[in-house]
Amino acid sequence: MTPVLEVENLSFAYERRAPVLAGISFTVYAGECVGILGANGAGKSTLLWCLLGLLKNQGTARWFPRAPARNALRRIGVVFQNPEDHLFMPTVLEDVALGLINRGCQPAAAREQALVALGQAGLGEAAARPASQLSLGERKRAAIAAAPATSPEMLVLDEPTAELDPRSVRQLAAVLADLPVARLIASHDREFLGKLCSRLLVLGEGRLMAEGTAARILGDAGLLERAGLI
Amino acid sequence: MKRLLPILVFAAALALMQWASGLPLTMLPLMTLAGFVVTVTLARLVRWQGLVFRIRPGSRSYSALLFALFVRHFAGILGAETRRVLIARRLATPRTWKPGRARSLLFALAALFGRALTRAERFYAAQSLRGMTD
Repeated sequence: MTPVLEVENLSFAYERRAPVLAGISFTVYAGECVGILGANGAGKSTLLWCLLGLLKNQGTARWFPRAPARNALRRIGVVFQNPEDHLFMPTVLEDVALGLINRGCQPAAAREQALVALGQAGLGEAAARPASQLSLGERKRAAIAAAPATSPEMLVLDEPTAELDPRSVRQLAAVLADLPVARLIASHDREFLGKLCSRLLVLGEGRLMAEGTAARILGDAGLLERAGLI
Repeated sequence: MKRLLPILVFAAALALMQWASGLPLTMLPLMTLAGFVVTVTLARLVRWQGLVFRIRPGSRSYSALLFALFVRHFAGILGAETRRVLIARRLATPRTWKPGRARSLLFALAALFGRALTRAERFYAAQSLRGMTD
């Protein structure tokens, strides 16, 4: 299996405060879907920010260790918790196309590819509308559609199901399940991660408490209790 | 007129600060008002939809378009955050005049800066990861 992300002994602390993350090590392989499961405040988002180079941490996080590139982050699609952080163009179509244009795609081709990506996310009819006129579920799907449109080798998602109703969660899971790339999903939603991920990492009090198959982790009531997940 | 109120208050505060510090009154408050009116009028006249497909990527016009859209988006976020903060304050403070009423307004507005900074940081991070800063 080809590793796409190798994390070794990653630690992070905000200035003059107790460590938020300590000694985190794990590997994500090509094509697999890995969930980072943790209660509120466990350090999930902070871990993702460290991995994306948005916070300076100790330890190492190597993207695509077998084929390192100067700008590895260009090969990753990222979706943050709030879709408003991604969608700011006059229409959703332009929001999805913008990432492609920024990476050198011609505007006409970007428009076509964006239409296809929105269609795959079930948002073909919403393409000409501004994001502010869509429901939260639709906005999340649009933000997620924008990420794979640029053909990333890996997708990183932070709390994708936060504030979504059950139907929107199902639609989102269907979109994510069909993607052929590696996915790293941080969430406290056990059911969602259980359906999508082959492997789960349990984060609690800044430490990696456990790592294993989704079935094993979700079947361990004691572990979930200690991690504040039940 | 209702939309003009915050900028009127801002311009008045500027004039008041100049007057209170003993400085001669300048045209800055009036220019602030004029700048706001011109910007809003232009923003309404421009047909934003599809513009990104008609402008050559990497050109100065492209950068100007994205900058204008950033500002428009962030002004919307700031407006929404302000409304939320003021509604939360209204629900939490007594309607009758008490010293806490003014203090809570100060705290609410101070909290707005923190929220705006957090949103700006996340927005910047999301856009830079989408290749905006390449």
